[in-house]
Amino acid sequence: MHIPDGLISPQTYLPALVVAVPLWWWAARGFARQVGDEALPRLAVFTALAFVLSSLMLPLPGGTSGHAVGVGLLALVFGPWVAFLTYTLVLMLQALVMGAGGITALPVNALAVGFIGAWTAYLLFHFLRPVHAHFAVLAAVFVSILFSALLVALVLGLQPLIAQGPDGSPRFFPFGWSVTLPAILLPHLFIGAAEAALTLLVWRHARRRCWIPSACGREA
Amino acid sequence: MPSSHPLRFAFYLAAVITVTLIHDPRMLLLVLAGLLLLSGTGRPALLLRAGRPVLWILLLLSSGILVMGWLTGQPVLHALLLINLRVLVLALLTAWMLRDVDLDLALARLPRVRRWLVIVRGQIQLFRRLAQDYRCAQKSRTVVAPTMHQRYLGSAAIGLAALDKGVHNAEMVTQAMRSRGALHD
Repeated sequence: MHIPDGLISPQTYLPALVVAVPLWWWAARGFARQVGDEALPRLAVFTALAFVLSSLMLPLPGGTSGHAVGVGLLALVFGPWVAFLTYTLVLMLQALVMGAGGITALPVNALAVGFIGAWTAYLLFHFLRPVHAHFAVLAAVFVSILFSALLVALVLGLQPLIAQGPDGSPRFFPFGWSVTLPAILLPHLFIGAAEAALTLLVWRHARRRCWIPSACGREA
Repeated sequence: MPSSHPLRFAFYLAAVITVTLIHDPRMLLLVLAGLLLLSGTGRPALLLRAGRPVLWILLLLSSGILVMGWLTGQPVLHALLLINLRVLVLALLTAWMLRDVDLDLALARLPRVRRWLVIVRGQIQLFRRLAQDYRCAQKSRTVVAPTMHQRYLGSAAIGLAALDKGVHNAEMVTQAMRSRGALHD
């Protein structure tokens, strides 16, 4: 779902960078405290898993496909700040190793998918957990995917309004919200459902293996 | 192209930001030509590598712009050229950077970032190899093509097995390195 380079204006990515840098700093500051020595190798594996999920195409009805994100899983296992930081690394790797996504779009993608996605999944999961843990995972991941998709659609749809040439022609992404909202949100209903199921599968596995500190009653 | 990898990486970052500030298609065409000229041998492969990840996005955007122009009756050539050229120039810059910049050397002054990049890249390679191993094992033991349901179940089993193996491998490597005094930073 992340935005590639060249479609968003400096008016968007520069303020996003200003917001993202202190958040990265804050997340990095608490990183060592939140992730103990024992959990570090596990975090590396889960970060790699998020990367693989992002490049993994899921078959959807009608022959189309979309890619999962993996940030919800990171948030549920390691917490939202760690998920935000590691998902930024995933985005960096995608941009610098695969040529997917982009450097200028990195702060926007990191905020929309990494930060908002991770916090939505984390908070919703803890809010719904008393109802039913499995339902909480499914709902948290599904809503976080839709929320991130909504933000990406809003950012893209904003471009023709804030970055126009003298003749009014768009300089970056050319379509407004009437196009971006349905075009991005509708496929993500399917992607979100598939990713929620996938996250539940891995989350249950992680809980069985005692990789989630809160589920095992001990610090990782 | 400068010989130092950190300098090359800094040049790439500056070039990417500069390209987003250019709004004239003719200038972007010149930049594209200049990049192709400067990138040395293997230009077609580089162009192909740059074009592949953005091809579908550009096709989708271009057809959308054309439909929009057709519906509103407004000229769209400028916007069409501008967006296509900018995305292509940025993709070419990234492809060139990927080909000619060693990220491990480029990020030498950021040891924490470099360490994480190396660890995660190692895990990604491990995942890919494990997935390939399991896929081959499954194929070699199946004579008929699996149904969609079987494919989903198979993928889930492969994924969880790869996750277990990945975690085990990472923990083993970390413990081995720590016991040899390699991770005392």
